[in-house]
Amino acid sequence: MDCHNEECSRPQEEEDIMDIPLDDPEANRAAAKIQAGFRGHMTRKKLKPEDKTEGEEVSITGDVFNRSVV
Amino acid sequence: MAPKKDAKAPAKKAEPAPAPAPAPAPEPAPAPAAPAVDLSAIKVEFSADQIEDYREAFGLFDRVGDNKVAYNQIADIMRALGQNPTNKEVTKLLGNPSADDMASKRVEFEGFLPMLQAIINSPNKAGFEDYVEGLRVFDKEGNGTVMGAELRIVLSTLGEKMTEAEIDALMTGQEDENGCVNYEAFVKHIMSV
Repeated sequence: MDCHNEECSRPQEEEDIMDIPLDDPEANRAAAKIQAGFRGHMTRKKLKPEDKTEGEEVSITGDVFNRSVV
Repeated sequence: MAPKKDAKAPAKKAEPAPAPAPAPAPEPAPAPAAPAVDLSAIKVEFSADQIEDYREAFGLFDRVGDNKVAYNQIADIMRALGQNPTNKEVTKLLGNPSADDMASKRVEFEGFLPMLQAIINSPNKAGFEDYVEGLRVFDKEGNGTVMGAELRIVLSTLGEKMTEAEIDALMTGQEDENGCVNYEAFVKHIMSV
């Protein structure tokens, strides 16, 4: 945190940060489930615009689509 | 080591077997992580059409051309096929491989199918309510929103930590002008793809 002042101008956020239950297994399990859902969504989203020609697109499979370099 | 007792007299008192039968397959180092899954015990119940779809997706990920994919691609193929496995679930299905194995070992399509079946059969699958409930924990004011900044921190420090790039990609366009995220709308958006 780049807080140069003694009094941070964002006390609310700091309090929130301290509330994050890093060691709570329940919280971690819940977080992992949410993250799994997010990752699934992002992977599927990445795979979707395969037919859009927006310059060079690299899919998560490593294939390069629309390679414009000759 | 079986101490030689009276071999002639049948044991009157129950003598516990000195040594159990030698295990046919010696266990590798005791894994504190989840025990490996017996993939051969999984009954694959996909229709022929489904198998063809899966085979096509699988093929897209094969960059080597050996009809196999690397261990570290399995999670993404499953995601591409509509599943949301945790990395831990996939690691367990792969038999808790080392990082090197994840990058170098490959599996063929037939080996992949029972893994996919296991994920599809998983009883822990999260639905809309689960995600909303999970996010509601961070709804400090109980007004249906969470601070985008707080959500970012949670995603990067808890569970299966996400990278900043992943989080940015996820959160793009989700925060309102106050930096808040309406999490029900967020989850609907997530589940739409």
